[in-house]
Amino acid sequence: MKRIFDAQLLGPLAAMGLVTLVVALTTNRFLDPGNLSNLALQVSIVSLIAIGATVVIFTGGIDLSSGSMVALLTMVLATLVKNMGVPLWPTLVGVLLLGALLGALNGVLTAFLRIPSFIVTLAGLIAYRGLALMFNAGSPIFSLDPNLEPVFYGRLLGIPLPFYYLVLFYGAATVMMNNTRLGREFYAVGGNPAAAKLSGINVRRVQTWAFAIAGLMTAVGAILMAARLNSGSPNYGQTLELQAIAAAVVGGASLAGGRGNILSTLVGALTIVIVQNGLNLNAAPSAVQNVILGLIILVAVGFDMWRSEIARAIGRRSAGKAEAGRGA
Amino acid sequence: MMHPSDEPLWDVVEVSKAYPGVLANDRVSIRLMPGRIHGLLGENGCGKSTLIRLLSGVDRPDSGEIRLRGQPVALTSPTGARELGVSTVFQEFSIIPSLTVAENVFLGRWPRRALGLIDWETMRRRSSEVLAELDIELDPDAITSTLSVAQQQLIEIAKAVAADAQLIILDEPTTALGLDEIAQLHALLRRMRGKGHAILYVSHRLDEVTALVDEVTIMRGGRVVSAAGKTAVEVDAIVSAMIGGDVREHYPKERNTRPETMLRVTAISSARGVRNVSFTLQAGEVLGLGGVLGSGRTEIARALFGLDPLTAGSIEIEDRHLRISGPSDAIRAGLALVTENRKTDGLFFNFDGRANISSASLPRYSTFGFLGLHREDAEAASLARQLELSRGAEDKSVRHLSGGNQQKIVIARWLLSRARVLILDEPTQGIDIGAKLAVYRLINRLTAEGCAILLISSDHDELLAMSDRIAVVRHGTITDIRAPRDLTHADLVRAATTEIMTEGRTAA
Repeated sequence: MKRIFDAQLLGPLAAMGLVTLVVALTTNRFLDPGNLSNLALQVSIVSLIAIGATVVIFTGGIDLSSGSMVALLTMVLATLVKNMGVPLWPTLVGVLLLGALLGALNGVLTAFLRIPSFIVTLAGLIAYRGLALMFNAGSPIFSLDPNLEPVFYGRLLGIPLPFYYLVLFYGAATVMMNNTRLGREFYAVGGNPAAAKLSGINVRRVQTWAFAIAGLMTAVGAILMAARLNSGSPNYGQTLELQAIAAAVVGGASLAGGRGNILSTLVGALTIVIVQNGLNLNAAPSAVQNVILGLIILVAVGFDMWRSEIARAIGRRSAGKAEAGRGA
Repeated sequence: MMHPSDEPLWDVVEVSKAYPGVLANDRVSIRLMPGRIHGLLGENGCGKSTLIRLLSGVDRPDSGEIRLRGQPVALTSPTGARELGVSTVFQEFSIIPSLTVAENVFLGRWPRRALGLIDWETMRRRSSEVLAELDIELDPDAITSTLSVAQQQLIEIAKAVAADAQLIILDEPTTALGLDEIAQLHALLRRMRGKGHAILYVSHRLDEVTALVDEVTIMRGGRVVSAAGKTAVEVDAIVSAMIGGDVREHYPKERNTRPETMLRVTAISSARGVRNVSFTLQAGEVLGLGGVLGSGRTEIARALFGLDPLTAGSIEIEDRHLRISGPSDAIRAGLALVTENRKTDGLFFNFDGRANISSASLPRYSTFGFLGLHREDAEAASLARQLELSRGAEDKSVRHLSGGNQQKIVIARWLLSRARVLILDEPTQGIDIGAKLAVYRLINRLTAEGCAILLISSDHDELLAMSDRIAVVRHGTITDIRAPRDLTHADLVRAATTEIMTEGRTAA
């Protein structure tokens, strides 16, 4: 499986290593087990949503709707469980399906009605938040179900459950991108839609699948959010979509589509969270944190853009080899 | 009519220009006189466009000299060339559709007032003057996008005059024009000749060239084969100079036609302008499609491949009726389409060679949605070896491969998909002679294995040499199908340039 650790992953990994080193040296609490486990919990929701955001970016689209969809889905979950008395587990399945369906709707509007995904999901960003406010007269719903909290806070062999979710979903996403026909088609459609069509790939169907996966991962994030806070609220998930996209681009996914490694998105999300954690531990005000986060995104994407020039300047002979991962 | 002076305005002396793999201009000389319309002729790829690029400052010559009124000058950029009075009207216009006529006439050189504000008053007045001087009836305030193509072209010329260009280069100016509009353009060019401008007129259409130009220069294979003054401005002389007396290149044609019918197309029409096209293609046969650009050859290919819906007619492959609603159906039925422009719709530049080769065969490699990567690896690598792709091409991003290797990758894609009928649209465009020969050998190999090939090419030598039969396409329909031996190069050139196909030629 050397492909997983290809050159696309090395850059983001190196960046994360550097950031970790700086944070570990400037603080004395960073490496505390408590802090690290807290980090894992903190990064889990945005990292899972970022899987979907990244898949959509691979196909050349963008999903701005996930943050608002999280709010809507937590309200649906809370209403079903608390106000309508539907049992928890069927509700969770229903929420996952609803997420996938809403995602597929984004896909259909983009692929079949040819409205740019930026616009479709911007409309979703606005409208889903509004829909969320229509539940329970716009008020949050608290203390949902005693079995819900353990979905987030539970441990297995002493390790928090969200860690397992990350392994499971990133593992599945990696297999999907590298070993399945659909994964290859995501890259093909993002790389050159016209050539994909001429290769007999059903471009519209593939685009719709990408958004459906994004919707499913958003639903996973929404369930964890509801479990973590044992509530549903129309205010949850604000700017989550942007954090997910930031994780993808810091991880090196090209917004032009067709290029990137799904595991890099996890590395990107971790990098961002570690920086935030370091700033927190150094008691930096949140205003400063936002400025620094913005700078990180600029540098990460800039570095990706200038990679070939940098490689040439350093005099490396085959800049292309690094770029041309298998199928990506 | 003015008395043309004997001093050339522009004198191009023995310039050469090489691009990777091809010597596009080989010691080309041409003299452009004020007050004369100079025709520049030659087939696709003869080096005309390169010469225009050199004269308009887009590219610089490797050697040779360009003189303006006897003085050597360096044309280092399009802006520099414009400042020296050269204005080029390319096939793709450089006007902004959302601006007015006056704004376009002075594009980038808008008269200014204090503080850098645009002096609208002066701009409108001066553009009216220019338009009046040229006898062009256009409202300076009209938005350009509301005008016809012909009118937009007139704006391009007005732009050149407003910039005080002494040399105006027109590259295929009439491809999009109707007969009336062509007459209007010619009248304008004659008036400009009368005012002492030098005009370099590039065209395929011999009938209009002979009606307009004062002298012609003919190019072939990057060289001037007939300089101005040495060729009579009349169609037969020009045709023979354009195609040359000898067959320059050797084509390794093998005849592999078998009796069984592979593809039967009956009276198909498409929404995109294919009209009532019928033909059959036998196993192992190469059917060439000849005709001018825009005659409908590519549209026939698109209709067969399921890209444009059929409005009538039927297609059978190996006697099985085909229902095609998209490329995937066509591919499953054994069709393949190698498009004209591999860069825009052929290659995946985000993929290595291997993934490019296998992109049309993914269904075959997948079981329950999972790809058999080892099988994909092995089969793509074996094809890469058979096609003599450059070493390691499977593992490299295709952006780092030569044009010839890129073309081989695209063809390999369809070998892997086990296509039985291949449509090749300009398969040797932009690749060097070695890679061309490789493509020809590939055609031979495919036909030897019983595949049928539909070959679209604007290279007449290639079409005549590599086809078993040739269908002439005009206005979206096939007007004639013949054996190449009943068709001469001159016939094709004529068909492509004057759109008059002499009917009923018999075998010589």
